[in-house]
Amino acid sequence: MPPVAKARGSRDRAGKPSESLGTLGRYAGPATLILASLAEGAKHGYALTKDIEAFAGVRLAPGTLYEALSRLQGQGLIEAVASDDRRRPYRLTAAGAEALRAHLDAQRRVADVGLHRLAGTWG
Amino acid sequence: MQDSPVETVRRATVLLRWYPKDWRARYGDEFAELLISDLTERPRSWRRTVDVARNGLVARLSVAGLGGAALDRRDQARASLASLGCALAVFLAFGIAMWSQLTIGWQWSDPDTTATRAAMVVLSGAMVLFAGLALLAAIPVVGAVVMRLAHRQGQGLVRPTSLVLGCGAILIIGSRHFGNGWPGTGGHAWAHQGLVPGGVAAFSWASTLFVSSYWAHPSALLSFPAGEIAWMAISPTAVIGLVIGATKSVRRLELSPRALRFEARLSGVATLGMLVFLGGCCTWVVDGGPGPRDLFHAGAIDAAGLVAMAAAVAVAHRAVSRARRGGPWMTAG
Repeated sequence: MPPVAKARGSRDRAGKPSESLGTLGRYAGPATLILASLAEGAKHGYALTKDIEAFAGVRLAPGTLYEALSRLQGQGLIEAVASDDRRRPYRLTAAGAEALRAHLDAQRRVADVGLHRLAGTWG
Repeated sequence: MQDSPVETVRRATVLLRWYPKDWRARYGDEFAELLISDLTERPRSWRRTVDVARNGLVARLSVAGLGGAALDRRDQARASLASLGCALAVFLAFGIAMWSQLTIGWQWSDPDTTATRAAMVVLSGAMVLFAGLALLAAIPVVGAVVMRLAHRQGQGLVRPTSLVLGCGAILIIGSRHFGNGWPGTGGHAWAHQGLVPGGVAAFSWASTLFVSSYWAHPSALLSFPAGEIAWMAISPTAVIGLVIGATKSVRRLELSPRALRFEARLSGVATLGMLVFLGGCCTWVVDGGPGPRDLFHAGAIDAAGLVAMAAAVAVAHRAVSRARRGGPWMTAG
């Protein structure tokens, strides 16, 4: 079973249920980028778009960004921060940090295996 | 070329309309701000328009309990069941029209093909199943509505319930009137023939009179009596009102988890019944033949009906699987 799937429904050290990004389907990609951006601190929609464009070279379109945000919020991986501004910021929750860590660990293992095999076969 | 700030806000507001009201109430302001920033930076982008349109439709499907992000468990079950009700209404509008054509035809003469006979038996069996399921499904809903109204907690239920009762009364009275008034059903010397009583056949025919290819032939339609044309316009409006009222009632009712599980199980059986019914209709349309005196002729409206019914089955299947996605809360017990 892949580590990401294993994380689904598992419990963290505090005994709270944790969520996996695997349940987000085709929004798992945008969700990973959003969580990685929020790992630095709370951001509103446009700041998220610009940050993700800067570190990943991908510009998330507004509809895709908000569909992923609403799913992440529904899963308790992020939460809205109270604000007087119309541009509401979002921040990572503890469950979101754990899910992001598990997802990136799994991706790193895949990257390590792929690079190792490439080096062995293709030099 | 840069738009003026007023024009940018207007374009953001237009794009926001792709999303449903509930979604706009929650995310509208912040999403509009993002759109304004994006429109200011990139005034023209068809990719942005397509993206907003696609995700707006996904949000609408989500509100209808048919796709997108999962709602709260109870909301998900209620929304999916309401959507299933809508799909079933579309299915039955076309299905009953086909069935009544066959039942009336059989009153005049026996079908001369095995396919039509087999289809007729399958459709009639499925209709009995639908009637039983409708009765069973109505018990917890009607019970909950009555309890809420009795305890003066019926805020938000009075209008949809009144709509159901009013439109239901219009449909029953009108269908009885036009069914009785048509000499081809029930009142003639051969009314004992066929699988179903003539009165039932006439009522079914009159209630779905609006499912007709005559809409495409206005000159032929105008030769009908004025009352019949008026009924062809009023009856679908009453059906739509009935479905809207029932849908709003179900979505606003706080049914217990047990009642929702019961409704979800009935919905699964109803979807299977729809599939069987559709199979019967296909048997008739594809292999049934016109029969004696063209009584069992399948026309373009029947072929169009099959397409609509197949789409309704797909929606119903989706709704049932989403309703069951409530997890242990929906599947326990």
